Amino acid sequence: MRVKFMLNGKQTIVDAPADRRVVDLLREDFGLIGVKECCGAGECGACTILVNGTSRLSCLMLAAQLEGVEVTTIEGVAPEGSFAIVQQAFIDCGAVQCGFCTPGMVLAVLDLLQRNPQPSSEEIREGLSGNLCRCTGYQKIVEAVQVAAALLKGRRA
Amino acid sequence: MCQSSRPLTSAPSVIGQSAPRADALTKVTGEERYATDYYPENHLWAGIKRAAYPHARITSIDISQAKGMVGVVAVLTSKDVQGSNRLGIFEKDQPILADGIVRHYGEAVALVTAETKEILKQALAAIVVEYEPLAAVFDPQAAMSKESVILHPGRADGNVLLSDEISCGRGVEALADCEFTAEVSIEVNWQDHAFLETEAGVAWLEADGTIAMIASTQTPFRDRLELAEALKIPPTKFRVMAPYLGGAFGGKDGITVQGFLALAALHAGGRAVKMWYEREEHFLAGTKRHPAIMKYKLGCDQQGMLQALDCSILMDTGAYSAMGGEVLELAMEHAGGPYCIPNTRIKGAVVYTNNPIASAFRGFGVPQVAAGIEQAVDELAKTAGFDLLQFRLKNAVRRGSVTPTGVLLTQTVGLSECLKKVADHRLWRERELWQNSAPAFKRRGVGLAACYHAVGFGPVIPDYANAKLELAADGHIRVFAGVSDMGQGNAATYMQIVGHILFQGYDNMEIVLPDTACTLPSCSSSASRTTFTYGNAITGAADILKERILARALLLFSFQLLEQLNVQDLVLLPGRIVHQPSGREVPLQLIAGFMDESERIATYSYTCPVNKQVLPTGKKLRHHGYPHRVFSYAVQLVRLQVDTLTGEIEVCDLLNCIEAGSVLNPQVFEQQIQGGAAQGIGYALFEDFALKEGKIRTNDFSTYILPTAMDIPNMETVVVPLAEDDGPYGMKGAGEISIDGILSAIANGVAAIIGTRITQGTLTGEKILLALRQAGKEAVR
Amino acid sequence: MEVLFPRTLEELKELFVTYPDGRIIAGGTDLLVQLRKHGNKPSALFSVEHLEQLQHVEEKETEIFIGAGVTHQQLWELPIIKNYFPVLHDAVAVLGSPPIRHSGTLGGNLCTASPAGDTLPPLYVLGAKIAISGKTGKRCVPIAEFIQGPGCTMLEQGEFVTGIQIPLPAPQAFSAYYKVGKRKALAIAIASLAVMLEVNPDETVKNIKLAWGSVGPTVMVLPEVEAFLKGKVLSDEILSQAGKMASLGVKPIDDIRASAEYRQCLTANLLLRICRD
Ligand SMILES: Cc1cc2nc3c(=O)[nH]c(=O)nc-3n(C[C@H](O)[C@H](O)[C@H](O)COP(=O)(O)OP(=O)(O)OC[C@H]3O[C@@H](n4cnc5c(N)ncnc54)[C@H](O)[C@@H]3O)c2cc1C
Ligand code: FES
Ligand code: FES
Repeated sequence: MRVKFMLNGKQTIVDAPADRRVVDLLREDFGLIGVKECCGAGECGACTILVNGTSRLSCLMLAAQLEGVEVTTIEGVAPEGSFAIVQQAFIDCGAVQCGFCTPGMVLAVLDLLQRNPQPSSEEIREGLSGNLCRCTGYQKIVEAVQVAAALLKGRRA
Repeated sequence: MCQSSRPLTSAPSVIGQSAPRADALTKVTGEERYATDYYPENHLWAGIKRAAYPHARITSIDISQAKGMVGVVAVLTSKDVQGSNRLGIFEKDQPILADGIVRHYGEAVALVTAETKEILKQALAAIVVEYEPLAAVFDPQAAMSKESVILHPGRADGNVLLSDEISCGRGVEALADCEFTAEVSIEVNWQDHAFLETEAGVAWLEADGTIAMIASTQTPFRDRLELAEALKIPPTKFRVMAPYLGGAFGGKDGITVQGFLALAALHAGGRAVKMWYEREEHFLAGTKRHPAIMKYKLGCDQQGMLQALDCSILMDTGAYSAMGGEVLELAMEHAGGPYCIPNTRIKGAVVYTNNPIASAFRGFGVPQVAAGIEQAVDELAKTAGFDLLQFRLKNAVRRGSVTPTGVLLTQTVGLSECLKKVADHRLWRERELWQNSAPAFKRRGVGLAACYHAVGFGPVIPDYANAKLELAADGHIRVFAGVSDMGQGNAATYMQIVGHILFQGYDNMEIVLPDTACTLPSCSSSASRTTFTYGNAITGAADILKERILARALLLFSFQLLEQLNVQDLVLLPGRIVHQPSGREVPLQLIAGFMDESERIATYSYTCPVNKQVLPTGKKLRHHGYPHRVFSYAVQLVRLQVDTLTGEIEVCDLLNCIEAGSVLNPQVFEQQIQGGAAQGIGYALFEDFALKEGKIRTNDFSTYILPTAMDIPNMETVVVPLAEDDGPYGMKGAGEISIDGILSAIANGVAAIIGTRITQGTLTGEKILLALRQAGKEAVR
Repeated sequence: MEVLFPRTLEELKELFVTYPDGRIIAGGTDLLVQLRKHGNKPSALFSVEHLEQLQHVEEKETEIFIGAGVTHQQLWELPIIKNYFPVLHDAVAVLGSPPIRHSGTLGGNLCTASPAGDTLPPLYVLGAKIAISGKTGKRCVPIAEFIQGPGCTMLEQGEFVTGIQIPLPAPQAFSAYYKVGKRKALAIAIASLAVMLEVNPDETVKNIKLAWGSVGPTVMVLPEVEAFLKGKVLSDEILSQAGKMASLGVKPIDDIRASAEYRQCLTANLLLRICRD
């Protein structure tokens, strides 16, 4: 079936089986390898994408469901603005180790900060609880979110 | 907490400075390509038909239907393997594809390549394998008995892969003279690595017959040797490339998909093949941490000095040996903990069963035995009436001490310093306050553990690294990493070392990840030796390159200034060299232009010094690594809270006090410590791996429970930075020590709260509630 | 599998006629996981994402209507849920993880009919009714009738849930949801308890509703325990006695997450949280 949607800011039309998993579509057909797969069952968050700005799991979505929506993958987040700040905070704070969880984690952070620009550390942990990380023990990720939130606040002020 | 925001830079690297990792940028933008991210043009998908029995004779494999399906390219069985069809490090006992017998659930039986994932799935389902089930053994104790079914007939010791005994002093006799003794019996569970990037790779046949592959592997160089023998193809006919790994922790130490990939590539008509395990397949096929059954008896004199230890360790390595022998060695060598105990007997065995395969996992046997000795130490200190920390301090090994396994500690030992730091720490000093401040229906307690961890491979297997460094024609510095970076950041640390020596920033450097075609052979990314050994080698290479660059620059300046110059007057700066007295500069690129390729490339080979002691017992353990020379040390403390209504347990605070030599990059160091400790929390409390007759019941992420961000506390890391002579810039390995003591610290804390010990397996809420009930503390406000 | 997007209830009904084996997909967080595991794919999925009538929430004088397609996240954000139905608010707050809550719906949770479904015990104690629509017309049934067993509802082929009606509770009522899982997030309940409580001025229990999750084939309701507590002043002592009764009344099983015995203990002990709070 033909699916028409916005992919990383570009109007896109793709011919794909309606039941093709979105994670496969993005990785295999569009080469967006920043969308990771790790469990295929909603349990890890590695495949997180933003759908109309909200974090969703691309392993639990089908191609047909993309009709008319706006999809943002890690490749498509604007290289300036809050992404740049979150990204830089991840780098500076050492929130990246093997990096396999990182794209999904960063998108989850963007969703979180949009809902709650000044989260407490408990709220950060809660907000990231759908994204597993096996390397970091999460602490530096939480720090990165705190740093990014503070910088973003400074910007708005 | 870290501050400031600045672009990932080019400030010259300095040893000891906290600096962001060079690999972080491409990882955070999603650009970094892992093995899973390669989709070569026109590639096939490869997959495995797996055994449906834990132990069975294959009576027939009918591949006709699968082979006939449209879109199926090849269906292969062991008949298609030309070589020995055996993988393994010491014991080559594991077939790539089962030939005749399967010995664990999910063992690989046939290999299929197909045009799409869907066709692959259908073809795998269409293969009909008939089995004659054999008696199976799942209990390691039963596996040792005379009556047990034997997994690998023809071995002298039946199902025992390795067993030995270490004894020191008067051995167990000395227990009788002890004023106080304590006994514990502890069984620790399996643990799955659960790295996020499941096993994956791509492979293809090159025009000259080379089998090239990009795989998620910790051991690109060793893989070639293993593959060569199993497939009867010369090692040089393999090219293995290891991009950054999406986690490994020991689970990619050796062959995972590489054997299948090579075989598939040989039968793909020149097309590339891709393989990527689903999470469930990872659980089924991947290796695990060894479970262990341990019995400890420990004694001290009136003054609280440890005098005698008698312990036994039984490990289950599953169907194939993998690293079973080495894990047992390290477990036994560390079994007595970092204490002076003059009289000991340590018995150990690792056995085959029809369970999943156990092998290397961060900690490598040490977290298991730490759970034994540290709980015994707590019990004994309580019985003898000593403070738990002071008791450890009294008995702690120092430089020059001999360990409970007779190892003379010639290198740095920072355990006492760690213990003293913890003794002064708020979390320890305020432990009673913590205990007494529990809210309604909660109980609080503090747990402590001390441990040590050997660095490297021991006296027999050479722990070597070959570093290579290039001043590229354009003036860039190219750092060739011969050892995989599985996420721990060693690649970035190599750059940091080179940058420090050559006064360069990341922007003037580039890393070449392991590729057997252009990086030089080095040992694996493992054993807390990755940065330790390669760091020494790369330091050597950088010194050589620096000398050459300066020598060439000296000539150049001499011509320009027309006088005799002194090399001491030259200074390397980012991208250039300056002659200080005259202030003249030349860019590195210019120097590179005056150098022949052979001069622009510096290589340096380094092999770690070893412990030369000849010990009277434990002879069989020697080539598995006994004894070691360098050890890292740690004291770990947890503050816990238990819910008396539900048994739910929370780690509220965690303190890591670590002595792992000097710290090259505090940020990367902390990453290792926090990450290892978090895995320790998972091991202790959540990852309740369950088997039924060899079949894994916790085979996905909804049943195998990893801690989320809400389950791990903020941790504090305190460093005792002693400078180690053997290590580059005084460092020691820090990759494993942080996981070693967590289970024991938590178990000790739980015992302090409940008053009794939970001695079997993962400390789940269920077990805790049951223990509370037995202790009459359930639902106590 | 085709994926179709009905815009009206009528269209959806039609689809069930055209594709008799078709299934509704809402957030897909249960359905797609099931299909991955068991693989028996229907010929079509009907996505209710664009079906307006399933997305709205309506506040009426004495009750609230929540469309089956409302996501857990939307529910959690609604002030009326937070203020009037804390038990439901609590439950969706601990359901799955943020991305699961962004996709997963109340209707999906209900129709999955898992004894561990987190919104179910709250809907029991709130006296929710399920609005069903299908080719034979509409009906509205109490949740206890709707849920018939593990994974089993009273929906017949071609029927679907349009929404959930919940009466507004008494203003001073206390309600809460207690869940025990294997970790703090992304945890399927090992046992859970929803409580709805009204007390008299003299502190005696005027009315109490209790529903346990994950300790039986469906949500467990124990009228004898509620009757025992009615008229009493709640204390640890009284709740322990009630707990003993309750642990005998539930029908837990052993599974990969916990033993029946542990679940029995939790059935009793979770009651004590009422007094704590
Ligand atoms: C990682 C993960 C964690 C989870 N954690 C939890 C948890 O903690 N607690 C919990 O309760 N659940 C949990 N779930 C399960 C699931 O997310 C919830 O049950 C969710 O509410 C399902 O809603 P959905 O919209 O995604 O349902 P779907 O998957 O879209 O549908 C589920 C079933 O209901 C049917 N259906 C949906 N809507 C209708 C309708 N209107 N009429 C008739 N039938 C309908 C579908 O045909 C399907 O059979 C988890 C799932 C995952 C993947
Ligand atoms: S891959 Fe989608 S949640 Fe794990
Ligand atoms: S950095 Fe490796 S999983 Fe998060």
